[in-house]
Amino acid sequence: MIKRWFKEFKNLGNEEIEKIPDEERREFLKIGLIITGVFAGGSLLSVVSKVAEGLATPEELKNNYPYKPHYSMVFKIDLCIDCERCVEACNLTNQVPDYGWRTMILERYSSKAVDQKRIFLPILCNHCNHPPCVIACPTKATIKDSQTGIVKMVSYKCIGCKTCMTACPYNARYFNEERHAVDKCDFCWEKRLSKGITPTACVEACPAGVRIFGDLSDPLSEVYRLVHQLGKPVWVLKPETGAKPNVFYTIS
Amino acid sequence: MKKIIKILIFLSFLLGFSGLAYLQERSEEGLVIPNEEIGAPEIVYNKPVKGVLFSHKYHVGELGLSCESCHPKLFEMQALKAQENPDFNMNALYQGKYCGACHDGKMAFASNTKCATCHIGVKGLKRLEKEMKTGKK
Ligand code: HEC
Ligand code: HEC
Ligand code: HEC
Repeated sequence: MIKRWFKEFKNLGNEEIEKIPDEERREFLKIGLIITGVFAGGSLLSVVSKVAEGLATPEELKNNYPYKPHYSMVFKIDLCIDCERCVEACNLTNQVPDYGWRTMILERYSSKAVDQKRIFLPILCNHCNHPPCVIACPTKATIKDSQTGIVKMVSYKCIGCKTCMTACPYNARYFNEERHAVDKCDFCWEKRLSKGITPTACVEACPAGVRIFGDLSDPLSEVYRLVHQLGKPVWVLKPETGAKPNVFYTIS
Repeated sequence: MKKIIKILIFLSFLLGFSGLAYLQERSEEGLVIPNEEIGAPEIVYNKPVKGVLFSHKYHVGELGLSCESCHPKLFEMQALKAQENPDFNMNALYQGKYCGACHDGKMAFASNTKCATCHIGVKGLKRLEKEMKTGKK
């Protein structure tokens, strides 16, 4: 299973939007979304969503966020250069083995594209408000933290059934052989945030200002400002799953 | 006679290993892919960040730029030399140094745009490394 996914991620060739079946397109159009890109063998789509629509006052919006702090990450993807310092920092901080990943960079390349032919897409756990992985886990080994909204692992409870890996819309989980448990991004909760160190290791390591981390329930935070502005498109990956991700994408 | 052969074998082993070590070191630093047609290589910088491609094949072969438009004023004729300078970074480019002499938004696309064009990243680097090893395109 791991191998298959890994292969999928490694085979990121030239993927064209045209390859998406018509029905799938229509399904998206029905809910007012347009497919803007395809990654990882079609298993990840980027879609223009309506995050910014229905803008309310900051006061009203604040009440929409159930967690405090409501941790969130925003990516300015046009700035990503795939130097992978984020991946290196993450692996080092969280002792991720070389067959695993907590964050990774996907690539989309099209020789037929006008002008720029390549774009990189960083991904990690989306710390969804309705996390399918948490719902799927039979042993409560993966939980949604009721304070911060971070989706965490309770390793000792994990029986390695990998149901969560199948359930995750973002392929953000891998099985850690050494720990005999599934492992995933916890926004560096264990290694940094819980010790009062911010931001996450990947954000700190990024030399290009791609990753912005913060509290989405704080109208003064940069993540709040980026997600609630209208001037630039803001989107999430796979909005149709209804998982309500807390990782957003925009451009610089 | 036997002794000489033994010494020769030993020496060739030594050379072989140091050659390998040298290659690996270079690959950490960056890539230099010879191109006989143009007479100047494709270069991938790894410092300060991994995976920045400069292509003679494109700049000389396709665009037809003369050697003098870059050599020796902007770049020495020695691959990966520029990345030894502490100022080989985006700020210098924005100030019109190195690639920024042309990539200023007038002569060629500006250095603060289309990041993933010069930057082929770790993925691009690995692809080229593989092509180089297997010898195919
Ligand atoms: C658009 C700029 C540009 C042009 C035009 C150009 N070069 Fe270069 N050249 C470079 C850069 C950049 C390097 C790498 C220098 C560095 O890394 O410090 C380089 C390096 C070289 C090297 C060193 C290769 C090695 O293996 O060490 C040679 C030889 C060379 N160029 C020859 C040429 C010749 C011959 C021409 C004309 C046909 C030419 N270049 C035109 C930019 C250019
Ligand atoms: C002498 C001027 C000059 C210099 C110096 C120069 N370039 Fe260019 N470069 C050009 C021009 C002209 C183009 C084509 C016009 C455009 O795409 O805007 C170009 C295009 C490119 C492209 C696009 C290639 C493609 O396939 O579309 C890349 C990538 C690039 N340059 C990288 C670099 C890098 C990296 C350096 C520095 C190591 C550099 N260039 C230095 C003039 C230059
Ligand atoms: C014209 C080619 C070119 C373009 C376009 C370009 N870069 Fe670079 N970049 C370079 C070169 C050359 C270096 C230095 C060599 C290296 O780091 O491998 C560099 C280095 C960097 C570095 C490390 C050094 C530093 O300045 O901190 C970062 C970060 C970076 N680029 C980000 C970006 C981003 C973000 C963009 C788009 C807004 C971008 N680059 C566009 C050529 C380019």
